[in-house]
Amino acid sequence: MPSQTAIAAANNIGHADRRWIFEGLGLTAVIVVLAVIFTLINPRFATVANFTNILTQASFFIIIAVGMTFVITSAGIDLSVGSLLALVTVIGFGFIKGGMHPALAVALMFALGGFIGGLTGMLIAFVKIPPFIATLGMMVGLRGLALVHSAGNMLFGLPPSLTWLGQGSIAGMPVPVIIALLFALFGAWLFTHTKFGLHVRAIGGNREAARLAGVPVNFVEVMVYVLMGLVTTLGGLIMIARIDSTQATIATGMEIHVIAAVIIGGTSLFGGRGTIYGTVLGALLLSMMTNALVIAGVDFFWQLVVMGAIVLIAVAINNLRERRIPTLALLWRRQPTGGGVNNSNPGG
Amino acid sequence: MSGGGTQVATTKVMRVVDLDKSYGGLRAVDSVSFDVYRGEILALVGDNGAGKSTLVKALAGAQPPDSGRIEIEGRPVQLRTPRDADAAGIGCLHQGLGLVDALNVPENVFLGRELQTKILGFIPQLDHRRMRERTIELLERFGINLPRLNDAVVRLSGGQRQTVAISRLLLQDVRVVIMDEPMAALGVEEGRRVLDLVANMRARGISVIVISHNLEHVFQLADRIAVMKNGRLVGIVETASTTRDAVVRMITFGQLH
Repeated sequence: MPSQTAIAAANNIGHADRRWIFEGLGLTAVIVVLAVIFTLINPRFATVANFTNILTQASFFIIIAVGMTFVITSAGIDLSVGSLLALVTVIGFGFIKGGMHPALAVALMFALGGFIGGLTGMLIAFVKIPPFIATLGMMVGLRGLALVHSAGNMLFGLPPSLTWLGQGSIAGMPVPVIIALLFALFGAWLFTHTKFGLHVRAIGGNREAARLAGVPVNFVEVMVYVLMGLVTTLGGLIMIARIDSTQATIATGMEIHVIAAVIIGGTSLFGGRGTIYGTVLGALLLSMMTNALVIAGVDFFWQLVVMGAIVLIAVAINNLRERRIPTLALLWRRQPTGGGVNNSNPGG
Repeated sequence: MSGGGTQVATTKVMRVVDLDKSYGGLRAVDSVSFDVYRGEILALVGDNGAGKSTLVKALAGAQPPDSGRIEIEGRPVQLRTPRDADAAGIGCLHQGLGLVDALNVPENVFLGRELQTKILGFIPQLDHRRMRERTIELLERFGINLPRLNDAVVRLSGGQRQTVAISRLLLQDVRVVIMDEPMAALGVEEGRRVLDLVANMRARGISVIVISHNLEHVFQLADRIAVMKNGRLVGIVETASTTRDAVVRMITFGQLH
């Protein structure tokens, strides 16, 4: 019997639940099929220039959605990312226009983003305000602060050292895309290969069990929102570098796009499970759809309608997968896993 | 009361003296004292609300008692948090098992006690390989067969989940294991495997305190039976020298004879 255990374990290489890899493949297939359909509708879709454009558009969302994957996996949500992005960029931009060294201004932006994220996290972890409400309050309040600070003005004119982050390219690859991919790799490592990532998945999966196991649940929860603040700042920095301007209304409604990318990517809205890989694919899928709608000449208002529908469908699929819809869950009975003494199926 | 007179030869692992815990006006645990010997299985029985769970929570550091003393191998210990209990060598298997469904077997076994390695000499990273190897070792040592270590534990059967939860406890140098209704909701076959595992733990000198409603299991498993009623310890009897009727009378009437 012991040798069977060993054989069975040896056959399971890696640590991830393989089911999620297949779901990632499914999402990849969806992306490919949609790309073919969009190309058939309008050949202009399938040009190198357009693909570069899609990737660049997706890069901000990928970065921020990686942070959101941690938040949602911890059984939280953050509606304030767009407002936080607006506030840190108008303040940072203001510093630079005021003559501060760009490096110092950027450092202060990150400090502010992390600090506000920490405040949000403490409201959730210690004041026990539900994440939805805490970040809704932050969403409105931070947007207000951004408007107050910028007095409604638009800021533009960054030094070239910063605009390179958004507009430059290395070997034909736009810098934002490179940063997004490197950051996604870092995020995937943090998610699966560090104590922090494990603790985030644990508190989202079963907070009480995590607490009993000795996980510092409140600390981890605060750190999740600190991370979200830092990541939002990074996305914001690259966004303003790309368009070389900012204003208090920048990134309005961004939260829904980011959350949608995470949910489409297969992260459970109920916490505990998710993948960074899926999130990246989800963000790519959304950017591709937005791009296709633009190319197809669909009116912006209708784009919003499509976006809303995609979000609802993604959540519905998520609930189906989690068997949260009682009537359908009955039809979706899992086959029992082998519990007998003679478990002679180590290949699994 | 503690029945210690007949067990002079064995060593005491845990000693509980005058433990009290009240909720408002209710004395959920009322000056309870008893000893636990090395490598024994002590069953804790009593009606709902007799104070078993409260007593066990105090021993597991989940809910500190109001007063009283707990000693482990002669040293007094303060159990204010689950961590304190861990450090004292007391492991607790909670009724809900305390597993995280979405994590796989080694991640659950090592949660809160992760093994790490350093990449580039300074960046800490989880050592998934070593955690998996040590989990396999542990499972083999206690004769547990778990086919799929990398699956999320939500996909394991009730008995398999039970063994994962027990493995969590065995990972550390545990002296006393507390189990709250370990056989509840298990099939006959799976229940038998958990019984085997508990016997295996006893053979390795680990003491086990089991809460159970099922007197049949209790008589199969336990060396001694402690009966509680209304927060008080009615008495402790040796399984070999008592009958089910006697135990039922103790549970119902709160009297030793």
